[in-house]
Amino acid sequence: MSTAAAPLSDLGRAADERGEVTAVEHLGGGLMELAVRLPHIAAAARPGEFAQLRCGPPPLPLLRRPFSVAWVEGDICGFVFEPVGEGTRRLAALHPGDELPALGPLGVGFTVPAGGRVLCVAGGLGCAPFPLAARRAREAGCAEVLVLHGAATAARLYPAGRFSRGDAGIRVVEATDDGSRGHRGYVTELVATELAGVAAVWACGPNPMLGALAAVLGDAGAALPPVVEVSLEAPMGCGFGTCLGCALPVRDGGGRFALCCREGPVMAVAAVDWEALALLPPAHVA
Amino acid sequence: MTVDLSVDLGRGLVLPNPVGVASGTFGYGFEFEELVDIQRLGAIWTKGTTLLPRAGNPPPRVAETTGGMLNSIGLHNPGVEHVATVYAPRFARWRVPVVVNVAAGSLEEYVAVVRRLDGVPGVAGIELNISCPNIAHGLDFGRDPAAAARVVEATRAVTGLCLVVKLSPNVTGIGDVARAVCAAGADAVSLVNTYVGMKIHLGVRRPVLPRAGTGGLSGPAIKPLALAAVAAVRAAVRVPVVGIGGIASAADALEFFVAGADAVQVGTASFADCGAALTVLDGCAEYAARHRLERLTELRWTPPADRAEPSAAPTSVR
Repeated sequence: MSTAAAPLSDLGRAADERGEVTAVEHLGGGLMELAVRLPHIAAAARPGEFAQLRCGPPPLPLLRRPFSVAWVEGDICGFVFEPVGEGTRRLAALHPGDELPALGPLGVGFTVPAGGRVLCVAGGLGCAPFPLAARRAREAGCAEVLVLHGAATAARLYPAGRFSRGDAGIRVVEATDDGSRGHRGYVTELVATELAGVAAVWACGPNPMLGALAAVLGDAGAALPPVVEVSLEAPMGCGFGTCLGCALPVRDGGGRFALCCREGPVMAVAAVDWEALALLPPAHVA
Repeated sequence: MTVDLSVDLGRGLVLPNPVGVASGTFGYGFEFEELVDIQRLGAIWTKGTTLLPRAGNPPPRVAETTGGMLNSIGLHNPGVEHVATVYAPRFARWRVPVVVNVAAGSLEEYVAVVRRLDGVPGVAGIELNISCPNIAHGLDFGRDPAAAARVVEATRAVTGLCLVVKLSPNVTGIGDVARAVCAAGADAVSLVNTYVGMKIHLGVRRPVLPRAGTGGLSGPAIKPLALAAVAAVRAAVRVPVVGIGGIASAADALEFFVAGADAVQVGTASFADCGAALTVLDGCAEYAARHRLERLTELRWTPPADRAEPSAAPTSVR
């Protein structure tokens, strides 16, 4: 509702761009990375913000799809995805030179601290915002960025070197459900021992994983860092706050729903109504 | 030859051009104001507005289908007081006319919302939503010609604003409802609202949308259905008809003029292309100039005299 307490994303920073695909890469395990020439979004995107990509000529698929801006190099934006639905399968079939219209940057991103350590918690495709976020944190003066990255299997981990991109101040610790690489188990199990001296915790992944993280942090009690933010997902229609489709339950009273695309996707962990979120059916792949 | 694109919907509501944006797909205009030149639009038809603020339905609220989109938003809106006191002063500074879409669960609520909006600067007209498929009782008024007429009579009595009634296609005889609301004092009708639909997730063997699993279907998938409905209503009433349903291009819009529309609304297409309605407008103007039309209503098709009201039945029998 318009009486939202949380700040809304600044739509004035978003623009429509006619992107050009420069690279399409299979990373193994189903993960893919797309590089697209998008000068405006590359210049304007902040960590955790997203772009709406027009995955194919209308009317199929009808709607654009939201993707975190994974990294920026010059006027090129990177996007990480898995070809699992109508839209992402079309993205996977793109070739260098193909057109890819995009609207962005959109949404509210992560709060970048001016210094200290940053802990990034990435579950599966939740890796997407962290190459850019880690780099911006380092540029802002953060001494170290530790990326805790979990996935089902080793093959589904985003390559560690793509988070750090040669920066020794960005470390990656991995976890897999099957133990095929790194810690055997959930990435959220690695968080509690890494909280000391952390200025910000940023997390992105499936909503149940974020709920598990919220529980871990709740147990940590008084030791919570000043910034604890999660990047949430919701089935999205427009991406800029008009279709009202991407509602998320929040705590600030009255049964209000926040829009993932304008108040999020990044929200303070304390703002989310995790109990209500856990009761919702899983976000079905479109 | 100059093309006159203006459309007179009655009671002083003259749209500068026939291409507007549909309720529920454009908010109250403020988001799009930052992204495209909304002042060039023929009209902004706002999000459905109720007496009190509504938080809307629990998620998931939207699901894409082949060439379409299901929604079950549940009239998430800030309530008429907020619209009248905070939004309307902003509308009043715009060149584009803003028609406020009014939704309600009872006759009394319709009357209260319309009364509150009457005479408010910035509110150019009222679109009565008697056809929301996503709230309890939302469709009750739109399905029954007599009930629809009662809503129009009661609201007609409390406003001098142009009253456009948005019809539901989820009825047996949309022409009957159109006739009833016009007899009760509607200045114009708009159609169609969304079709009740369902998407199933086979993996979990249940609908994607919550509760009853249904939502309102919009997008290109419904265009042929909407065209048939517009033709049926055109044959039934004399008032201006605003055509809605799957319009994503100028050609789509022009087809609605052939079917009998006087104006159109672009809906779901705006989600995927913020400038969709402006592209439609420019294409319609270009078409009119190229074909030397003075008005787009010259495109109107006249059905054969022996069948005044087109039916949805197929003309060929296999």
